[in-house]
Amino acid sequence: MSLLQHLHGVSIRAKFVVSMSIMLVISMLIVSGFLINRQSHGYRRELQATGETMIKIMAMNAESGVLFGSAYELNDLMIVLKEFGTVESGIIMNRDDSILAQTGHLCFDTVQIAALRRETRESNAFGFEYITDTTGREYLVLAAPVTSEQQNMSRENLGITGGVDPTLASSRSKETIGWIELGLSVENVDQAIATAKLVAMLVTLIVVIATIIVVVAVVSAVTKPVTELVEATDQLRRGDFSTRVEICQRDEIGQLATTFNSMAESLKQSRDEIEQYNRTLEEKIIERTQQLEEAQTQLIQSEKMSAIGQLAAGVAHELNNPLGGILGYAQFTLEKLRKNVPEKTTPKDIESYTRYVGDIETQARRCKTIVQNLLRFSRSSRSTEFEEEVDVNQVIAETVTFVEHQFRISEIDLEVNLADDLPVISGNAGQLQQVFTNLMINAMHASEKGTAVRINTRYSPALGEFGGALELRFADSGHGIAEENLKKIFEPFFTTKEVGKGTGLGLSVSYGIVKEHGGEITVTSAVGQGTTFTIVLPVQKIAPSTDTVTELGEKHY
Amino acid sequence: MAKILVIDDSAVIRSLLTDFLTDIGHEVETAGDGDEGVRKARADTYDVCICDMHMPKKNGYQLLTDLGDRKHNMQFIFTDSMPDHLGERISEISDYCQLRKPFDLTQLRTVLEHTLASVKVQ
Repeated sequence: MSLLQHLHGVSIRAKFVVSMSIMLVISMLIVSGFLINRQSHGYRRELQATGETMIKIMAMNAESGVLFGSAYELNDLMIVLKEFGTVESGIIMNRDDSILAQTGHLCFDTVQIAALRRETRESNAFGFEYITDTTGREYLVLAAPVTSEQQNMSRENLGITGGVDPTLASSRSKETIGWIELGLSVENVDQAIATAKLVAMLVTLIVVIATIIVVVAVVSAVTKPVTELVEATDQLRRGDFSTRVEICQRDEIGQLATTFNSMAESLKQSRDEIEQYNRTLEEKIIERTQQLEEAQTQLIQSEKMSAIGQLAAGVAHELNNPLGGILGYAQFTLEKLRKNVPEKTTPKDIESYTRYVGDIETQARRCKTIVQNLLRFSRSSRSTEFEEEVDVNQVIAETVTFVEHQFRISEIDLEVNLADDLPVISGNAGQLQQVFTNLMINAMHASEKGTAVRINTRYSPALGEFGGALELRFADSGHGIAEENLKKIFEPFFTTKEVGKGTGLGLSVSYGIVKEHGGEITVTSAVGQGTTFTIVLPVQKIAPSTDTVTELGEKHY
Repeated sequence: MAKILVIDDSAVIRSLLTDFLTDIGHEVETAGDGDEGVRKARADTYDVCICDMHMPKKNGYQLLTDLGDRKHNMQFIFTDSMPDHLGERISEISDYCQLRKPFDLTQLRTVLEHTLASVKVQ
């Protein structure tokens, strides 16, 4: 396992070279070992065969020498023997193991030689054994009986020379008259084997080296483009989609490279497309956000215009009285002046004219104030004008002057109780006025004749994150809001008013405006007892909300 | 010359009508709201009542209702500055002339003369 883990970190080339070399060396060693072993056996068998032939010829040639104890003849044989390079020693013995002739002298292991002699004597036949001498060198020692055909000898001795007696042929027996022993050196064989081993090792080495060179070359040819591909893939991973591999092979690697290049091209195109989409998307988001902001501003503005519409009758009523006064006094004064005779003009008349014109001026000023209020109320609520210092009390007072006519006509009291110590806040007076108008009109609509709507402001240092907050309450004693409607009251398009009397957007727009000012608007209500809306506006706005449009739809209690 | 009761919550209108009507020779009494108007109408007799339809405390319809039978003792000219159903309700219980604010003095004079003429006929 650890070896495998270790191999994970090794390059393909090294893996190939190492594994191929190991396999090659192992197979070469197995093959050459097998061949050498076979060859070694072959050499020995050959030596044994040669030795057997040689000793048998020697045994035949030594027959007469042994029979007659001719040392001379036997020594000649020994000389002939010496001619063979492999023969290290030779002994010819008579039947009693007395040495008749000898060449070379080897000090064999006595136990081994004794065992060989015992075996051959017992079987009275040829035998051999590999025996080491006292110096540790190995020899092939062969022993063969020197035989003599006794009956032949008897017939010859008897002077029987003619014919061959077939009956005698079967009774002919060979008699062992002596022993011949040859010690053949196996050095040549060993040398040949050693040479073969050396050659095998050299060949193995050369083959391994050649193989390594070839494998390295082939594997490099394979891994170089793979490495190139790996590097290119890494560049691709790091986002360089322009990277390409230049491999002009027609094999699988070449196909892989072509596929890689087309893949990189596709990725580049996809990335470019995505970037293009992203850019388009961003542009669209910006465009839509602008449209949404525009729509929101328009919504607030149209809500405001709707409020103005609802208040128009009250405003008209309020304008008509001073206008009636102006018109009437202007006509009256004109009529008087037309009829006037300068000589008869009394100081009292002058006093009257002055009073009439004074009244005209006073009433014209009143009209001017009403029109100014109307214009101030309808001023734009664009969010670009957001950061101005707003005196909330003043905004409420202006709103009150605007709606009070309607309250008066509806015979509902408006009790306004504004705290003196309100700090200014930063915001949009036009938008806040929209909120206050909404709440006042709603309270008026909910109220019965003769009841009162109470508006209170106070500053609470404990509210808000820093610098405290303003708490504004708009309470009526009207019919109240049912529990199930209370939950939906800030939802857009939710209205309980008759068709045409309300857009259902007033409170949701108010909710959005208050949120935009970092504040909260909450409502408590009891059916039949009345409703109170409470607005908390932080003196220091915490975080300007950017998604007022979404929040318009959210509920808050 | 007629005795006229002017009921209007607008001081300038009361003042204008007093000045104008006195100037053309009528006797004028004023009231600032519906309650005061009812009180004065009950306390005295008037030929004509010029009354604002929309007033705090009591509107023109409530005033007529409150007056009960006494409303038949005089003619009514209702002044009005907003279009609503009050005029229709008043016309159900009384014949009246209506002047839409802001009105012309010549208009007022014509309506008044017409009304006074009908008083004389009666």
